[in-house]
Amino acid sequence: MITRLARHQEPLIFWGMGVLLIATALLPLLWPMTELLRLPEGLGKVLATLGTGRMWALLGRSVALAAGITFIACLLGIPLGLLLARTDVVGARVILLLHAFPLFLPPFLLALGWFYLFGHQGLLGEAATAGLMFGEFGLVSVLALALAPIVTLLVALGLWGADPGLEEAARTVAGPWRVATRILLPAAWPGIALGAIVVFALALSELGVPMFLRVDVYPAAVFARLGGIDYAPGEALALALPLIPIALLLLAAERRLSGRRSFAVLGLRTGSRNPLPLGRWRAAASAACWLVAAVSIAPLASLALRAQQGNGFAAVPDWIGNSLTNSLLAGGLAATGIVIIGFVVGHGVARRRTGATVLDALAVLAFVTPAVILGIGLIALWNRPALAFVYGSIGMIVVGYIGRYAVVGLRTLTTVIAQSSPHLEESAAAAGAGYWRRLTRIVAPLHWRGVFAAWLLALVFCLRDLETAVLFYPPGGEPLTVRIFTLEANGPEAVVAALAVVQTAVTAAALALGGALLGRRSAP
Amino acid sequence: MNPAIELCDVTLRYGNQPVLEGLSLSVRQGDVLALLGPSGCGKSTLLRLILGFIAPAQGHLRLDGAVVSGEGRVLQPPEARRLAVVFQDLALWPHLTVQENLAFGLAAQKIPTQEREQRIAHMLARVGLGEKATRYPGDLSGGERQRVAIARALVLEPRAVLLDEPLANVDVALKAELLGLFREVLKEREVTTVYVSHDLSEAMALGARAAVLETGRLVQHGSFDDLRSAPATPFVQALVNNAAWKNIQVEPDGADRVADDLPER
Repeated sequence: MITRLARHQEPLIFWGMGVLLIATALLPLLWPMTELLRLPEGLGKVLATLGTGRMWALLGRSVALAAGITFIACLLGIPLGLLLARTDVVGARVILLLHAFPLFLPPFLLALGWFYLFGHQGLLGEAATAGLMFGEFGLVSVLALALAPIVTLLVALGLWGADPGLEEAARTVAGPWRVATRILLPAAWPGIALGAIVVFALALSELGVPMFLRVDVYPAAVFARLGGIDYAPGEALALALPLIPIALLLLAAERRLSGRRSFAVLGLRTGSRNPLPLGRWRAAASAACWLVAAVSIAPLASLALRAQQGNGFAAVPDWIGNSLTNSLLAGGLAATGIVIIGFVVGHGVARRRTGATVLDALAVLAFVTPAVILGIGLIALWNRPALAFVYGSIGMIVVGYIGRYAVVGLRTLTTVIAQSSPHLEESAAAAGAGYWRRLTRIVAPLHWRGVFAAWLLALVFCLRDLETAVLFYPPGGEPLTVRIFTLEANGPEAVVAALAVVQTAVTAAALALGGALLGRRSAP
Repeated sequence: MNPAIELCDVTLRYGNQPVLEGLSLSVRQGDVLALLGPSGCGKSTLLRLILGFIAPAQGHLRLDGAVVSGEGRVLQPPEARRLAVVFQDLALWPHLTVQENLAFGLAAQKIPTQEREQRIAHMLARVGLGEKATRYPGDLSGGERQRVAIARALVLEPRAVLLDEPLANVDVALKAELLGLFREVLKEREVTTVYVSHDLSEAMALGARAAVLETGRLVQHGSFDDLRSAPATPFVQALVNNAAWKNIQVEPDGADRVADDLPER
């Protein structure tokens, strides 16, 4: 029996993780379909909601807004990624750090920061700025700035990972400008396209910023039907349907892209080469980059200032409740689950195991699908008496996080594992080591830094989440982001700002800890 | 006695592209077989097939007379085949010391600790690395890493050892020294060996019989004399000429034979 188990440990472990991924990411997307058929008010009546022109117009507007946000994020992120990764801009590393950091915070927090700057009573605010902010202009500006670092980082990673020989060969026959536009930009194209897809998906999924800025968007209309005076869960299910083909289109675009390039493109191989000289443009380009960095962190400074002015920090212990513990507990547990699933499935993708690509696609689908659909599915699937022990606890948030952010761990670990020689594992197999032994004694120790980085990245994504947890957090189990979001409506401004600073500090601490640990020299 | 390794009418395809076609070949217990051929001819694929990482679409593979894969199925997984491999990149586990690299497979085979330690000490002494047991692969020279790789394979006392161009990235002097060592330890242990290379002189230095593959087919199989006297294809002729030109000197024994057997240029 034991021998049989040992012989089948690879499919057992791999598909065990696959089933977990399917249960957290795919079932919630499929379940609403079966629920629709069993609605007491009848399928026809519910589907009639979709027949109204108003909802289709709202969907069109939401897609247009997401496209606009994506366009501006690319407009900002592409040149910035190119300048910071491959030119002699002054302080490129610091600029990249400052510009990228807000990406790891919920965009709603950044909107709050901008509000304390340009709102009616903001530091620089007046009626005109407040009018601009609370509308489509404000929404597009806030989200484009918040999400542009995705494009910047992917362009930079693409350029760092590209073969230095391509650039050096071009430099022998052409100047920096021609090399940048004709050689480097095409090399960064997969990163740009992937960045655009991710920005569009996150922008379309965003709930906190449009609700805060009073902009009517489609996911908010679905969310409204899950509670309050518009409560109509059947309609919410029907309204979620048109978002599914959009998610599938995004998945198809991502598949097409990932099929064209190797995972190594997104790796961290950095060839040593001299940056392209900007010459007389260096001062102007550096100033522009520093300006973007300053704008990126302006809302954070504004939050800190608002909290300080209103003595909000002193009141934090009275208002924060268990929310920080909830965030760290749910995030930590989910990150652990994400890394375990990501390690096994990512290893399968890296080693081209049958079925691994399908599971990878599934994780991507759950990520690009607007969170509100995943949330509705999770509610429909888990809100039943027999599963109350999960649904009524923080465990539900963990399940939601794993489903939505599994792709973060999976893709990180796939990239990391794909960069090592399969011969290391094949030698171990020939020496008599089974699948489990190879994973735990060879692959995991070899890639412990990558595993830790994946855990940390997953944790940060869970910590910044608002749109998944806000749909089904249990009483007393709300994470910090939800706490800030719900307090914003009627809590003291200085306290809300102080809580936002706490969220920022926790995220910064997690990233700094990771940077410190990953930066240390490893054993030979 | 059954052959240690026996391929019976093996065919393998990647999509519609044939990689190995109707290949039949056997290696007797204790023999050294050199698999030769140009790049992309299927040598390394054949090795992966013997190791159990892939299965033939048609035909089957026997180890010591037992069918271990065939007709698209791997019947015995790699870890149960009692084989050992040395890849071109050596694949030494960088996070384990030399001693731990050797112990890994023994532990997987549940060899008692005392016996494990004895075997490791003996093996390391044999390849001249007794003093380097606690070093990590990253601290060793290129030649020392090659020795660790062969020691790691042989300490398992495998049914057969498969060497996939282990000397492809080694300079001429070190190659001669290592070939001498390989020849000695393989002979001492009488271990069945498959040595993949594109260089006939290496095969000769090991005293191996040669099997030449071209585009997935076995074009000639025999001793060096067979290849020299009646080369089956222009490629085999080129192999013979190239080996003669290299005229590799093997230390400490084997040098005379190689030098004497080679035709004059």
